Amino acid sequence: METSKTHAAAWLGALVLCATSLAAADETCNSPYIGNLIKGQEDYLYVWALGEKGLGDGSDKLVTIDAKPGSAKYGKVIHKVSVGSRGEAHHMGLTDDRRFLWAGGLDDSKIYVFDIAKDPGRPRLVKTIADLPAKTGYVGPHTFYALPGRMLVQALSNSKDHGGVTGMAVYNTKGELVTTYAMPTDNGGDGYGYDVAVNPQKNVLLTSSFAGWNNYMMDFGKLVKDPEAMKRFGSTMVVWDLKAMKPTKILSVPGAPLEIRWSLKQGDNWAVTATALTSKIWLIKQDASGDWQGQAVADIGDPAKIPLPVDISISADGKGLWVNTFMDGKTRYFDLSNPAKPVQAYEKVTGKQVNMISQSWDGKRVYVSSSLLANWDKKGADNEQFVRAFNWNGKELTPAFEVDFLEQKLGRAHHMKLGSKALKTAFNDAVQR
Amino acid sequence: MKEILVLAALLLASPGAWAQHAAQELDFVPPAPGTYELQHILRAPEGTVLDGEGEAKRFSRFTTGRITVLSLIYTRCGDGRGCPLASYMLKSLKARIDKRGGWSDLLRFVSLSFDPDHDTPAVMRAYGGGYAPDRIGLPWHFLTTRSHRELRLLLDGFGQDVWMPADPSAPATGPLPHVLKIFLIDRHGSIREIYTTSFLQPQMVLNDIETLLLEDGARLD
Repeated sequence: METSKTHAAAWLGALVLCATSLAAADETCNSPYIGNLIKGQEDYLYVWALGEKGLGDGSDKLVTIDAKPGSAKYGKVIHKVSVGSRGEAHHMGLTDDRRFLWAGGLDDSKIYVFDIAKDPGRPRLVKTIADLPAKTGYVGPHTFYALPGRMLVQALSNSKDHGGVTGMAVYNTKGELVTTYAMPTDNGGDGYGYDVAVNPQKNVLLTSSFAGWNNYMMDFGKLVKDPEAMKRFGSTMVVWDLKAMKPTKILSVPGAPLEIRWSLKQGDNWAVTATALTSKIWLIKQDASGDWQGQAVADIGDPAKIPLPVDISISADGKGLWVNTFMDGKTRYFDLSNPAKPVQAYEKVTGKQVNMISQSWDGKRVYVSSSLLANWDKKGADNEQFVRAFNWNGKELTPAFEVDFLEQKLGRAHHMKLGSKALKTAFNDAVQR
Repeated sequence: MKEILVLAALLLASPGAWAQHAAQELDFVPPAPGTYELQHILRAPEGTVLDGEGEAKRFSRFTTGRITVLSLIYTRCGDGRGCPLASYMLKSLKARIDKRGGWSDLLRFVSLSFDPDHDTPAVMRAYGGGYAPDRIGLPWHFLTTRSHRELRLLLDGFGQDVWMPADPSAPATGPLPHVLKIFLIDRHGSIREIYTTSFLQPQMVLNDIETLLLEDGARLD
């Protein structure tokens, strides 16, 4: 009972529903428009998993894991929703009110909307959007980023040539397409897309760039031996006027800049990203004249060995950055006290292959998943598929629980989001009054 | 009487938060009115509401014909950065618009309660009296609904969340957590912008209103 009260108090403390500022951290990496961040102990870990032929039903699915220490089912899968097909499940994003979780497939370009508010422990699939390519010409919905009353979806490719030139689509809360924005191909823009991240205080949207369907669906071994294909990776970031949704500056950031994380500290004016192919941390910051500049500020491992940095997660105070490197299976922690000079302070091999990393708001818990892309994951015994939870005391990651996604026939574990049982909507049962 | 005292307390307690928020200067130069496009996000929902006199009216009477700035609130809200912030921002905007002249006949404000159990037409009338006592200039309507059923249709239509209290045993008079949202609706009933606290800058709202007026071909001398 005491635990329950503590939990409720912690969540209520976080319930800044009516008062959001630039404070959003996976929990630290959500849109700043998501007001009700979980700043206490999360109850659930939602995992968007790629289906694997011959494994279970072979379909992509949303897996819910009990993440509450002390719970009878702590560390166990308590629910799963199969979408009935396999379409390269990849990323997810919460709506601004955290009632719904949008999830996308990079191959079939479908978007699934799950209700996580009516019963947070048992998400329900409530809508499937299957006409993104037909309505927009874009393929591969990647990032789902909440805007007030809307969802901004960054695609990776296009239906014309399946290359990397793409755009963004905006949907309303009913799942109806509102408009599209093409990634710029002039003034140095390569037209590629990957992640999006907003700083409302600066009226800035930052976007990064990766690769099109032809590359991300190609077998990884074949890809790296194809010099022409290796040229077709993004090398830019774009600074947008958020209000006008117009590009204002193209930054040259070679080597496929991926996830973008703004510092969450009030008043800070910088973001970081990691480049997959060149293995560097880049700082995107306003200079003294207010102009946005990009600068490589640190190596991640030995770039010559191509450790392939993938997901990053910034701490709520903006002073630390987790970086997963896929090839060597390492989870690294960088001291970001001086964002212009990040210093690696810790590393640990957390799997034979690691991709996504999510941390709790307080930074005490870190979750790692294994899958990058179905055709890029390692083969044979190196193809571990898992979610591993760790506790972080500031010096050492210690294992908390692990779910083997192969043993449990769940597929390949990719993106993760946190959930709370306290987040239940009103009026569901009172509507008859 | 108790409700009036609560309202008075809210009115007295909230200006600090509002003043603090309003004092936050824009950290950027916003795009000029008319130089950007406001998308058609969603149709404002249809339904039935009660006006301050308790008369049932079609909701579209309050979302079409003029450019509308609509706030979903509940009068018991004690979060100085929540509903009171929204109402104070509208009050401030109304003063600026009325002083400016020329726009008052083209716009309206609406505050719609999502707490029909408490926010009766009389309570909404009293609440409105605190924010718009003079009843001149830009019209500001304070509305509620007859039932949760009628309210639910409107909330779903706007995509407005309202959460269960974290403690299920909390009294019905407890808080109703929600994400603060203010809607800008064009005169055809199309929602063109949605503001949450991070986005709630008076100058941006005025620019957006002017953008819609320019779209309507209004002369803005």
